[in-house]
Amino acid sequence: MENLLYVWAGLEFNFSTLPQQLVNGLITGAIYALIALGYTMVYGVLRLINFAHGEVFMLGGYVALFVSWGFGFSPEALQKNPDAQSSALILVIMILVAMAACALIGAIIEYFAYRPMRNQSRIAALITAIGVSLFLQYAGQIFLPNSPPPSIAQQVNPYQENLKFDLISAPKETRDAYTAAKTESDNLKQQFETALNGRSQFDDTLTDAEKALGTQAQEAQNKVSALEGEIAQKSVGVTITVGKLIMLVTVIVLMLILRFLVMATPAGRAMRAVSHDFESASLMGINVNKVITFTFMLGSALAGAGAMMLVTFEGTAIHPFFGLQLGVKAFVAAVLGGIGNIPGAVLGGFLMGLAETLVVWAGYSNYKDAVAFVILIVVLLLKPGGILGSSKVEKV
Amino acid sequence: MGKFWTVRIASVVAALAGCFIFQTVATNLGNDYYLRLFLLAGLYVTLSVSLNLINGITGQFSIGHAAFYMIGAYTAGILTRAYYEQQPLLPELWLVIMMLAGGLFAALAGLLVGLPSLRLKGDYLAIVTLGFGEIIRIVATNQQSVGGSYGFSFGPKVVAPWMVCLLAIITIAICRNLLKSAHGLPFLAVREDEIAASAMGVNVTKTKVAAFVLGSALAGAAGAILALNEGYLNPDIFKMDVSFLILTMVVLGGTGSITGSALAAIFLFLTIEIPRNIQTADGQKVQITLASLLMAGLAIAIAISLLRKIKDHFHGPPNQRLIRNLGVIGGSIAGAIVLSMILNATTVMGDKTFEFDKLRMVILSIMLLVVMLLRPQGVLAHHEFSWDFVKRLFRKDHDDKAEVAS
Amino acid sequence: MSESPLLKLDQATIQFGGLIAVNNVSFELNKGDLFGLIGPNGAGKTTCFNIITGVYKPTSGKIFFRGRDISGVPSNKIAQEGICRTFQNIRLFQALSVLENVVVGGFLRHKTGLFSGLTLLPNAIKETDHLREEAMKLLEVVNLSHVANHRSADLPYGMQRRLEIARAMATQPDLLLLDEPAAGMNPQEKDELKEVVYRIRDEFDKTVLLIEHDMKFVMGLCERIFVLDRGLEIAHGPPEDIRSNPKVIEAYLGEPV
Ligand SMILES: Nc1ncnc2c1ncn2[C@@H]1O[C@H](COP(=O)(O)OP(=O)(O)O)[C@@H](O)[C@H]1O
Ligand SMILES: [Mg+2]
Repeated sequence: MENLLYVWAGLEFNFSTLPQQLVNGLITGAIYALIALGYTMVYGVLRLINFAHGEVFMLGGYVALFVSWGFGFSPEALQKNPDAQSSALILVIMILVAMAACALIGAIIEYFAYRPMRNQSRIAALITAIGVSLFLQYAGQIFLPNSPPPSIAQQVNPYQENLKFDLISAPKETRDAYTAAKTESDNLKQQFETALNGRSQFDDTLTDAEKALGTQAQEAQNKVSALEGEIAQKSVGVTITVGKLIMLVTVIVLMLILRFLVMATPAGRAMRAVSHDFESASLMGINVNKVITFTFMLGSALAGAGAMMLVTFEGTAIHPFFGLQLGVKAFVAAVLGGIGNIPGAVLGGFLMGLAETLVVWAGYSNYKDAVAFVILIVVLLLKPGGILGSSKVEKV
Repeated sequence: MGKFWTVRIASVVAALAGCFIFQTVATNLGNDYYLRLFLLAGLYVTLSVSLNLINGITGQFSIGHAAFYMIGAYTAGILTRAYYEQQPLLPELWLVIMMLAGGLFAALAGLLVGLPSLRLKGDYLAIVTLGFGEIIRIVATNQQSVGGSYGFSFGPKVVAPWMVCLLAIITIAICRNLLKSAHGLPFLAVREDEIAASAMGVNVTKTKVAAFVLGSALAGAAGAILALNEGYLNPDIFKMDVSFLILTMVVLGGTGSITGSALAAIFLFLTIEIPRNIQTADGQKVQITLASLLMAGLAIAIAISLLRKIKDHFHGPPNQRLIRNLGVIGGSIAGAIVLSMILNATTVMGDKTFEFDKLRMVILSIMLLVVMLLRPQGVLAHHEFSWDFVKRLFRKDHDDKAEVAS
Repeated sequence: MSESPLLKLDQATIQFGGLIAVNNVSFELNKGDLFGLIGPNGAGKTTCFNIITGVYKPTSGKIFFRGRDISGVPSNKIAQEGICRTFQNIRLFQALSVLENVVVGGFLRHKTGLFSGLTLLPNAIKETDHLREEAMKLLEVVNLSHVANHRSADLPYGMQRRLEIARAMATQPDLLLLDEPAAGMNPQEKDELKEVVYRIRDEFDKTVLLIEHDMKFVMGLCERIFVLDRGLEIAHGPPEDIRSNPKVIEAYLGEPV
């Protein structure tokens, strides 16, 4: 197959990397979707943009970090015992603790900051939310470890091996050439090592013949590398680490659980009622306070799960401000799908992730962070209610 | 008619005298750092009052004001770099031209944001304005022609405190005049109820756009002053935090209150800038212990909850209420100091310390939260600060509503 | 007379999702009419006002004002054409004073530019004073001049309703639409209101279209009445006919009053 390189309007689209980018987009999108759910649910019941949601997410990342430290993965502990082994159990504990902690944080924020603003104007509530968000960021900057930004993926994540899926393989002759070269190279290497017999490759006692053998082995190795590169270029495939695959599956499982909670439990039904009509729901005897707390806890727990997986499987380094941008993007995702609409948030999240990676793919990685806002503005102008949402007209 | 012109000329003279005083004071501070603080405080007055025009008076929730400030600044910077050499003018005259240019470009941007945003309400508009600010910043960060994230410099530097003062006065005068004449009413009407305003023949679209254009133009002019004062610009000067700072000023002062925004701008700016430079006698940065910090947090939390209790449940005469409020505030401060002294002496909490200047933004955010929780309408609410207002504040019983009942 | 009607609804229809709130409604108003629009709750009366004043665009059908098609014209343009209204769920500019509320209404006739306002030039000052005087006069008509400087939100309910009328009158409309102006008023206030409505019609030469729930009030006030039920016309005529119309009685008895 030809190397798929197209030039269009001055842009270079390398279509052979597209599938990989789409998969990356899907994974990023899954995290956006998870955070977007929190925004959308809170907006649904309170008509409030919970600006602090991004910070809850950030704190979730730190909680996961601290839990991993507790299991002996802190920088100091690792210096003493660099071979600490992680396990699935540790990861499960990390995600559960992060979710629980975030649920608690969400409920606390709601109780102390938002509840007193319940009968103030929506703008006052929004300003409060901005205040909480700023507070958590800057207080976090003081109290939380942040320089250098800690990253835990390397040590804690036991699922780092790559899975490779070829969609279009390289031509047969190239692959055959590669196999042949590889066999030869391995062979030569073996011979050379036997000849060295424990001596260094640069040892003075090496004879000329032995040196020539070394050069030969090196050349064979170079050829293998070259062929490897050629195969990579000519084949179209997708590589994904096991961890990321686990992450994607977990996100989907969490979404299904959420769907069950919202659609099939009394608490979920109450939540939908409040989100449909706050006033009537409270008149019908629904305990609105409880529902709101529940909503905050649910959304925050999802954010906690997302944060834990992002820092573990994606290896994103955390700092007190990393919730900000992700939060804003997730919010945009929620608006894109139709804020207040749960399936909309999921759809919006995935679309956002895809859009972002497509921009990177098209060679505009510097503008990656601007995409969210461009999408937002376009959506609000064309379909203010979002893709799945409905724009309501105010009754007069 | 004669009276009109006397008053008008007198106020212009007073304004110029004010600028002269500002200039004299600023140049006699004898310290570049203080001069800069002085200038920035003045610029923040313009920024806050101009945002108040959009937010407080017209009720359009814009939270990305730094974008217009930035556009004004970059316009001035780019034009100066490109043309000043070829056409050297009197620096002050150049500054005025740059302010006009910066204002114009910012106004165009205001139009760009204002027009599409007309369909959006409240929080949606907020997020679009925020997004607009971020887009502008990301674009600047990626433009190598303006130095990307490292920024770019240009000359000449024009340090003109009087111009800062004049711009602030002009901004305040414009807003005040607007509210004094019937022309301000459509703006207020749009804030209060768009549907009713429209039914009364107010062109809601035009009004909102006018507010956006005017507010952005003033912020743009402020940006131009900043640019020429610094001679250097980079995108980080205009981060989201700046927008939030300006917003906090408007909210703290009381949305809709011009004097409130202006006073809050000065107060808040100094509150977050002074910690940056407080030093101990031997030139060290001030350190705060963990215990003091936690106690301060605790005191604030307790004070807020008690003050809220008083606000909601105490219905006695206002002076009694004031005494109680002051008692709570004084008590919490004293309690915090005593407790933190004890804790510091016993070192139960270890001797971990924090640099005080790291606390600036925390202070800002706490202030924002305190205002929202205790007085969401802002310190001055919709009142203007005047002697009448002060007198009314201290009158024993000022029950406005008593007379209305009929 | 062959003069064309002031307002004409021609098969006006509006649909919200599955609900047809106003269904093929046609009627005509002549200059100087005192016309009542009645019907049980949710009949679509307010929605009629909303499509006349451009808050919503009718799904189908047309509305003519002085023979010109105004369906779908924006609200503020319609106010300038000469139709102004009050709101059933009072929509005053709450933070503004009573006087300022009325000045907003008069502002659509302003002549000075925004620049004059921003620089407070003499012509803007003069115009402002003039609008204030006009507004004061209207406040006298509705008996509110003594509270001119109060915050409008602080007024008692009945006063707020009257203030809405003054505000609408300030736009100097030819056609005034009143949406349940007597709602929540006591009998004495209702009588006063009746006087005000008559004055508006006779002294100020306006045409009035009003929605009202209180049958006694409408029957005593209006010369022609149009009855709406679930979006459809069920009767149309002078009060005497309406009173005895079995369909109307059924519509009203159908819901608990
Ligand atoms: N913006 C809207 N969206 C959906 N339904 C509406 C809207 N406005 C009015 N309706 C519905 O239209 C019907 C008529 O309402 P309305 O005209 O207010 O009745 P009324 O005759 O009591 O004034 C009601 O069922 C109401 O719920
Ligand atoms: Mg009605």
